[in-house]
Amino acid sequence: MRNLGLLLKGEVQRLLKYNIVQVGFGVTMLWVLVMFLLGREEAGFFVPLFVFMDAALMSVLLMGAGLIYEKQENTVKSMLVAPVGLPHVIASKLISAVYVALQSALFIGLVAFFFFDVTVRFHILLPVVALVALVHAAIGFALTLVTDDFTSFIALLAVYMIVFTFPSIFYALDLTGEILEMLLIISPAHASMLWIETAFDEAARTVLLVLGSVYLLILSAALIWFVGRKYPESAIRE
Amino acid sequence: MKSVFDIEDLGFTYRKGVRAVDGVSFTVQKGEIFGLLGPSGAGKSTTQKILTRLLHRFEGTVRFEGRDLRSYGNEFYERIGVGFELPVHFSKLTGKENMEFFARLYSKTADIDSLLQRVGLFEDRDRLVGEYSKGMKMRLNFVRAMLNDPEVLFLDEATNGLDPKNARIIKDLIREFQSSGGTVLLSTHLMGDVEELCDRVGFITDGRIREIASPRDLKLRHGRRELVVEYREGKTQHTERFNLDTIGEDERFFELVRNKDIETMHSGETTLEEIFIKVTGETVDA
Repeated sequence: MRNLGLLLKGEVQRLLKYNIVQVGFGVTMLWVLVMFLLGREEAGFFVPLFVFMDAALMSVLLMGAGLIYEKQENTVKSMLVAPVGLPHVIASKLISAVYVALQSALFIGLVAFFFFDVTVRFHILLPVVALVALVHAAIGFALTLVTDDFTSFIALLAVYMIVFTFPSIFYALDLTGEILEMLLIISPAHASMLWIETAFDEAARTVLLVLGSVYLLILSAALIWFVGRKYPESAIRE
Repeated sequence: MKSVFDIEDLGFTYRKGVRAVDGVSFTVQKGEIFGLLGPSGAGKSTTQKILTRLLHRFEGTVRFEGRDLRSYGNEFYERIGVGFELPVHFSKLTGKENMEFFARLYSKTADIDSLLQRVGLFEDRDRLVGEYSKGMKMRLNFVRAMLNDPEVLFLDEATNGLDPKNARIIKDLIREFQSSGGTVLLSTHLMGDVEELCDRVGFITDGRIREIASPRDLKLRHGRRELVVEYREGKTQHTERFNLDTIGEDERFFELVRNKDIETMHSGETTLEEIFIKVTGETVDA
């Protein structure tokens, strides 16, 4: 645990030095600005979407950016010959991504609660955002392991968004029919969206929610297994 | 002498089917500088990655201080230092921040400032590594390898890309490390480093070790034993070669020494590079 603590401290220092935390915070501020521009009525409707965008997409993007830097600078190699376990290295990266997402979600939630009278169930919101950020940070991690540089990472992320995320956003905005929802459950983005909506809406759909959360947990485990297997291979490849 | 590493019939094939190491056996003695000399792709870096536990699916046996390398956990890394061929630093952290980042992970650490001073980076310790030259980054790589005051040092092309002055600093530090009881495994394609530093060297090509001996033994075994004399006659310069084994009875040699204006006289040793080509049939390129 001592190692995990040290790695976390180092990871947060690295994210700050590379301005990754600052970029994340900037995007959060952007959502808040949009909320104020939309006004009290509209903002309430969009808050779950903003939280989702922050916890899901920003987690993929920020994790990817951090890891691409790391790949380019070969620093993983140096980490692999230090007396720390690989699971600790991976955990430190995922936990710091979750930490950044939680800060943003808390900030958006507080603004929504105090300035827009939105009902926010923080006891649900925070664990939900942690789970959503975890699975999406793991997706970002996995995407960097199958791509060579930032350009190919962005290209693959775009494909992921078109296939999984956009349909879910369209659904949330009532732009698609309900029939699509059962199909959308295979999307990590949609399962995340369902969860996040629960933090703002008491009329949650239990069956889909259970399915979604089981799915997110299994997906997280599978992705972390994949990352654990591929990460050292990718690091020592010349 | 006690051995640090005993490697027997080591083999490794990458996932794409490339056989990088094939039946390699050698021993690294405690306190020696052992060199692996070979061209790019010969298998020296792969061998080093196996010995530093970065690659696991190898064939054969590797023992570290008599114990199977596979049986070691992360404590193994408290005892070794690894200097990579390419820079391995966070470019947006300063040189000192980089070293502090990694130093935190070890239970014992060397004095970072003192190491930075030795490699000539102390004055630049608060500059971002992204602003360092390649030579500076390579020197920082060496500091990274020495951070935990290791017993065994693995160096991959440690002086590659360094100017002669900085290469000299690194070579002196390697010698100093050895003098204090450290063991070094040096992978390189630079003949000069091997000749100057290594107690023993293994020639490696196509994943196989072709010859292991000290540079001196290699020269004695494979080299030409001759003396080259350069002298001047009028405005013309001449060169003559004499066999060292028969020079004592060579009248021509004595005649030159007595009667000619000798300009230089030196043993015509075969270079390590020539011996490498003779033994392996290949050249050592970058």
